[in-house]
Amino acid sequence: MNTTGSNGVMQNAAAVYEKSRASFNNFKAWVQLDSTHLSDGRQLAVKYFTVAVILFFAQILFGLLAATQFIFPGFLYEILDFNVNRMIHINAMIVWMLFGFIGSVYWFLEDESGAEIVGLKLGNIAFWVFTGAVTLVVLVYLLVQIGPGKDSSLWFINEGREYIEAPRWADIGIVVVILIFFYNVVATFSKGKWSGIAGVLTLDLVALAGLYLAGMFYMTNITHEQYWWWWVIHLWVEATWEVLVGVIMAWSLMKLLGVRRKIVQTWLYIEVALMFGSGILGLGHHYFWIGTPEYWLTVGGFFSALEPIPLVAMVVHAVYDAGTHAFKNGNHPALAWIIAQAFGNFFGAGIWGFMHTLPQINIFTHGTQWSASHGHLAFFGAYATINIAFFYLAIQQWRGNVWMGGGSQNAWRWKWALGLLNGGVLGMTIALLIAGYEQSFIERAVEGSTWGGYFTAQNHPSFQHAMGWRLFFGCMTLTGFILLVWDLLTIGKGETRKAPAIIEN
Amino acid sequence: MIEPVALEDFFITFFSSALIILAGASYALLFAWSKVNPNFRIKIAAYISYAILIISVAELTQAAQFQGYWLIISFVMAIGYFFAPIGIWHLCVKTHADQDLIKIKEDI
Amino acid sequence: MNETPLWASESFWKKMAIWVTAGSFLILVVLTMDSLSKTNAGSKRVPAYTVINKKIDYQYDKTLHKSMPIIGENEFLFGKEYTEEEARQWVDLGKKTTQAKNCMNCHTLLGNGAYYAPDLTKAWLDKGWISRDMREDMMVKFLMDPESNARTYGSNRKMPNLDITEQEAKGIIAFLKWMSSIDTNGFPYNFKTIEAEE
Ligand code: HEM
Ligand code: HEM
Ligand SMILES: [Fe+2]
Repeated sequence: MNTTGSNGVMQNAAAVYEKSRASFNNFKAWVQLDSTHLSDGRQLAVKYFTVAVILFFAQILFGLLAATQFIFPGFLYEILDFNVNRMIHINAMIVWMLFGFIGSVYWFLEDESGAEIVGLKLGNIAFWVFTGAVTLVVLVYLLVQIGPGKDSSLWFINEGREYIEAPRWADIGIVVVILIFFYNVVATFSKGKWSGIAGVLTLDLVALAGLYLAGMFYMTNITHEQYWWWWVIHLWVEATWEVLVGVIMAWSLMKLLGVRRKIVQTWLYIEVALMFGSGILGLGHHYFWIGTPEYWLTVGGFFSALEPIPLVAMVVHAVYDAGTHAFKNGNHPALAWIIAQAFGNFFGAGIWGFMHTLPQINIFTHGTQWSASHGHLAFFGAYATINIAFFYLAIQQWRGNVWMGGGSQNAWRWKWALGLLNGGVLGMTIALLIAGYEQSFIERAVEGSTWGGYFTAQNHPSFQHAMGWRLFFGCMTLTGFILLVWDLLTIGKGETRKAPAIIEN
Repeated sequence: MIEPVALEDFFITFFSSALIILAGASYALLFAWSKVNPNFRIKIAAYISYAILIISVAELTQAAQFQGYWLIISFVMAIGYFFAPIGIWHLCVKTHADQDLIKIKEDI
Repeated sequence: MNETPLWASESFWKKMAIWVTAGSFLILVVLTMDSLSKTNAGSKRVPAYTVINKKIDYQYDKTLHKSMPIIGENEFLFGKEYTEEEARQWVDLGKKTTQAKNCMNCHTLLGNGAYYAPDLTKAWLDKGWISRDMREDMMVKFLMDPESNARTYGSNRKMPNLDITEQEAKGIIAFLKWMSSIDTNGFPYNFKTIEAEE
């Protein structure tokens, strides 16, 4: 390469760099966020939240691409195939939720322990390593996509296992990052003070990280492989994640509504008992048809029939608290999203889960859009909502604990974002429910799940219409998301009133 | 051993399953509400919810062709969902037993 | 009402949470050990990899109230009988290839995965391969060049070319054949195999 050429490139690069720095500065001037309002620990938390929001966007974008391919199969064919889009869609979901959870824990860690975060520097390094690794993994998904049938593909490209596709090197990286996070949690509580919340959190994190290890091995025997794969997926979302949300909720109830610590902790223990008591053996509802013994039909059917109980208990308790606490709350969007969580979890996991969990009907719904219907409402209702609530809690403090209660400026934005996001996901859920019903009927029951039967069901007008509606409601979800981001960036800007302090008694 | 749901019973299976959880939750809520607000009509509504739950359990038992030990699930649901809300309610009351009023301080 | 009874106290529920969790987990561990040992390759439920040397079918069993895999007489794959180790290597290559090519984000395997393409649980036995004589050949061709050999059943949905080599295609077929012999408690229901009389 000659010198003038490389000089030109250098100059161009410098110009691009200058330009992006200038626009970044403009952006900073526009949002007017002042990080001095946040403690060092909370500054780390909002970094996690920022990446979570970006990955949430990636989730929605690639979901829309995949949904479009259901209607126009030629769209991006052999450029970004359905499996690539879908992999990024669900992987981005898992990772953004984990980022959100880690951020939430960092958010309340100092407050709950009464001490400054012990390994703040380490925590920051871990954040950048994690973010860098996620970027690299996504780039490889997009650019390399697949490899030959060798171990090296599983180590460096992807493992080809739904939800935990990340290549092996990234698995190890994730474990290291989680260990650093775990160290920070434990060391900070040890330096400050332990509490019931701290204890449950610590044990839950041990379980959460330990379960991930169960999904890191290659096995030829697909029955064994799927057996362990479900340990990760099910025992994450129906046990350890639920309890993690319980911990986050417990802390929020104390801070937002001023509920007493003793009550909150008693209820946390009740939830843990009910959740783990039903959820651990509820794992059996994934062992009906993968080659495992017949007793799982009974174990899975029975215990997953119990799984809605903790969710009912939570709703009742929430109403009880709301009824007995004449509370005044200075963060309406956060509270609204917390209420959305209670309902979303109850409907998505409790009702949608129970409808297809008994083996007598699951033999027909298994592996159809029915699962997707349940998956969307449950993941969104139980986990997206609570993370969004925390984004609002964070932005309120970032602005200097301003008033975000009734009579705020531009309140229509968060209300519309709430409505569009929930309405969009609910609309997609209903569309997929219709598709899944038709599929289990025609493909599974009548035609006996042959390839011909599969396509008969896919070509059926009711299925095709459902796919159209899913795309429509997907676009509605995207609109809600855009509004949400706009609102998060602007809410409380120029607000001078302070939020009322809520004292735990 | 299970007997898969018959084709014509698909809808009723989904419907009654959903209704069990919904009716269970509304029974629990109405029961709790009737305790906070001792109104006769709320109590009646709570028991109507429970009646719907029982009917749904019966429907599901038929549609999903429960037999033998599977019937235990039906019994557990019928009895469990009757007592669980009462238990949850008492828990709510007792865990909040020595609660004072919440203090909210306007501004700092 | 100013004291908290034992059953509503924090310490009681703390103990409950610990005992319930520990108890459930212990039961899960016991069931896991039992299930894993009953599903080793070579067990009654999950046949040895050498099952690829045999004819496989899937038929409704009236006394058991469910469809069961039927393992019949010799029916070699690609005209050759494989030893225990060779069979394992073929299935292993196939399994690894399905992961490296990310099949599971379009298809379901044992009913788990994505819903953009047909279930692969009993793909080996599917009527779509027309006859037993044509099956192996058709499958190799399809996997290596799905675009030209697409059978979309009028859906326009085509499998993309995944650069599958002939060796990998054969591995996948061995894997699919082996998977179709697993006892899946009657899933899929009402499936009519390529062996079934019209
Ligand atoms: C927040 C909690 C929950 C989340 C996030 C969740 C999410 C999911 C997802 C994503 C799947 C699809 C997995 C796949 O890709 O194959 C799934 C499957 C399933 N879920 Fe849940 N779920 C939750 C709670 C529940 C509960 C409480 C029940 C039962 C009452 C339940 C019953 C089932 C069943 C039976 C399946 C298997 C579907 C099949 O046969 O393919 N889930 N869940
Ligand atoms: C714009 C909005 C969205 C669109 C268009 C969309 C579209 C899709 C598509 C096409 C699939 C593949 C289903 C298949 O294999 O046939 C999928 C899977 C999935 N999506 Fe979404 N999605 C959207 C938003 C979300 C959100 C907000 C969540 C949760 C927070 C979510 C969670 C999931 C899950 C868990 C699966 C896997 C389901 C399963 O395997 O059963 N999606 N989505
Ligand atoms: Fe599950």
